Amino acid sequence: MKSNHCEKKRTFRLSIFFLLWVLFIVFSLVRIQVFEYGKYSAKIRSQTVRILNLHPKRGTIYDRNGDILAISIKTKSAFLSNKYPPASLNAFNRVSRLIAISDHQKINVRKRIRSGEKFIWVKRKLTDGEFFTLSGLSLSESEKGILNFIDEYRRVYPQGRTAAHVLGGVGIDEQALNGIEFGFDKTIRGMGGKVKALMDARRKIFQLKTIEDPVPGKSIYLTIDSALQFFCQCELDKAVRQLGAKGGAVIVMDCRDGSILAMANCPGYSPEEIAGTSPAVLKNKAIAFLYDPGSTFKLVLASAALENGVCRPEQEFNCFNGVFQVRDRTIYDVHPYDRLSFADIIVHSSNIGAAQIGEKLGAKRYYDVIRRFGFGTQTGIELPGEEYGILNPMKSWSDVSLAFLSFGYEISVTPIQMAKAFNVIASGGFSIEPRILKSVDRTSMPIRDKVRILSPDTVNQMVPILCEVVEKGTGKKAKIDGLRIAGKTGTTQKVKQGKYSSDHISSFGGFFPVESPRVTLFIMIDEPAVVYYGGDAAAPLFKSIAEKIVVSLNLFLPSFPGTGVGI
Amino acid sequence: MMNSDRTPSYRPLIFVGLLLFAALFIYSSLNLKNIDYGYKKQDLLQHERDLREEIDRLQAEKSKLLNLERVERIAIDKLGFQYPDSTQIIPITEAGREK
Repeated sequence: MKSNHCEKKRTFRLSIFFLLWVLFIVFSLVRIQVFEYGKYSAKIRSQTVRILNLHPKRGTIYDRNGDILAISIKTKSAFLSNKYPPASLNAFNRVSRLIAISDHQKINVRKRIRSGEKFIWVKRKLTDGEFFTLSGLSLSESEKGILNFIDEYRRVYPQGRTAAHVLGGVGIDEQALNGIEFGFDKTIRGMGGKVKALMDARRKIFQLKTIEDPVPGKSIYLTIDSALQFFCQCELDKAVRQLGAKGGAVIVMDCRDGSILAMANCPGYSPEEIAGTSPAVLKNKAIAFLYDPGSTFKLVLASAALENGVCRPEQEFNCFNGVFQVRDRTIYDVHPYDRLSFADIIVHSSNIGAAQIGEKLGAKRYYDVIRRFGFGTQTGIELPGEEYGILNPMKSWSDVSLAFLSFGYEISVTPIQMAKAFNVIASGGFSIEPRILKSVDRTSMPIRDKVRILSPDTVNQMVPILCEVVEKGTGKKAKIDGLRIAGKTGTTQKVKQGKYSSDHISSFGGFFPVESPRVTLFIMIDEPAVVYYGGDAAAPLFKSIAEKIVVSLNLFLPSFPGTGVGI
Repeated sequence: MMNSDRTPSYRPLIFVGLLLFAALFIYSSLNLKNIDYGYKKQDLLQHERDLREEIDRLQAEKSKLLNLERVERIAIDKLGFQYPDSTQIIPITEAGREK
């Protein structure tokens, strides 16, 4: 009984001790979690909670077939935590021997290390090889923790120089600089977010709480066909080289909806090296190069004359054997003609004949049609930096303005405006805004409304005339066996410092297959040196590009069910 | 019997103590489990992000390899391909096809 009593006493004491221990823990918990909650939670927050900014990933840019034109991929950037400058200098010297760093950057980094700056970039956006080399670098005990890496996005353009002027490019911080990247920056860039990261004692994140959701940039699809774009770029580069020209531009447009299938510029550049590219090279000539269109503009004149019923295709005009006086100015034809029909004036590109058609048409009617074609305003293509062109208001026209406007002088246009004008005939008389944006995040952009500006009768009269230009006129060098092409050549003197110079601009615009037009193609060559007439400089380039397009888009067979011409 | 009746009953105390201990134990273990799941979730999310980045990297690499400029260079320089002369392209008429 006694031992039992002692046992019970011991158990009782143990229980009391145990209870007190539990009560102590409970009291401590209550003290920490209730009474001193604010103090400890603040302390914990400062040690374990970090607010992290999340940089949004830029959206990817695809071509019409889903091929990548621009994409952001994660990459590493190296920086120094400069706590002890002598050790940082040693570490940097070793790093600079392993990866390529410019001399200017080396001097700059060393200067910043000595000045005691805490955070110093060594090299941003390292290549995989560079990161592999640096991450394997063994640093001494004193240099540990000095070289660090941070994740950043690098914009990659897998197609190289293809479509550079369309895409534009971004800077080192992925800030948009040009082209689609700039024009659609808001859509592609996305929006940054914030998260609360909870970390343990080893600074490892065990929980992320979203404060603000990051919105990744949207992917966009262009109407560009990267294969066609490549072919156009190659052919344009080759032609510019052969002609000793200063540059050029090519526009390939789908006749039916105004989709731009290719837009090439020469000289080109690599979007990944946009920072070191001169503004002159960055300029997208297809939309921002202003020039007097010359004889390609006779397309507008002829359309206006037929639309207003002031001329008939077979109507004859006196071409004064190549020399014609308008007020105090003399107009010349390259080849002198005595008399030419309305159609032949276009086919043989007679300036004198055009001036007389203009005279017959009258300023008001001509001006109205020019405006309806969209000259003097932007075409509406979704690219930044598009020029308006220069079309003087009628009240400021001189006595000779109408005559000179008739063969494409006293007006400045862009290649895209001319492509749009040719597309009016190709599309059966409709003005269609060119477009380069196909969809955003697979949501198709609405097709813009077509506006009829020429009657079907006018178009039906214009098409054979433009076919004749290629069959037997100034555009013979654009002819392709088995494919009917309608087109018009243009040669114009270039304006330099307000005066017409001896340098020229050659152009050729057209569309094919004539039976069921699918493609409108416009070529502009800036200052060709070897030959400069549109029919000699631009028409052969039109032909070589058209051959590629026909094969690439398989235009022969479906378009010629009757003849079944194929390659 | 009288003695045992007078002895204060400590069983409820032990019961309460055990209950508190069990509650603490469960609370702590659940918290630890929660933290453990937090680590695993973060690892998985990071893995997902890494995989997505890898997909993008591979897609960019694939596009670079399929770049027509590169294909053309390899075809011409390494494989000895040539562009056909315009005379080597023969348009075939429907009549020719039928034969």
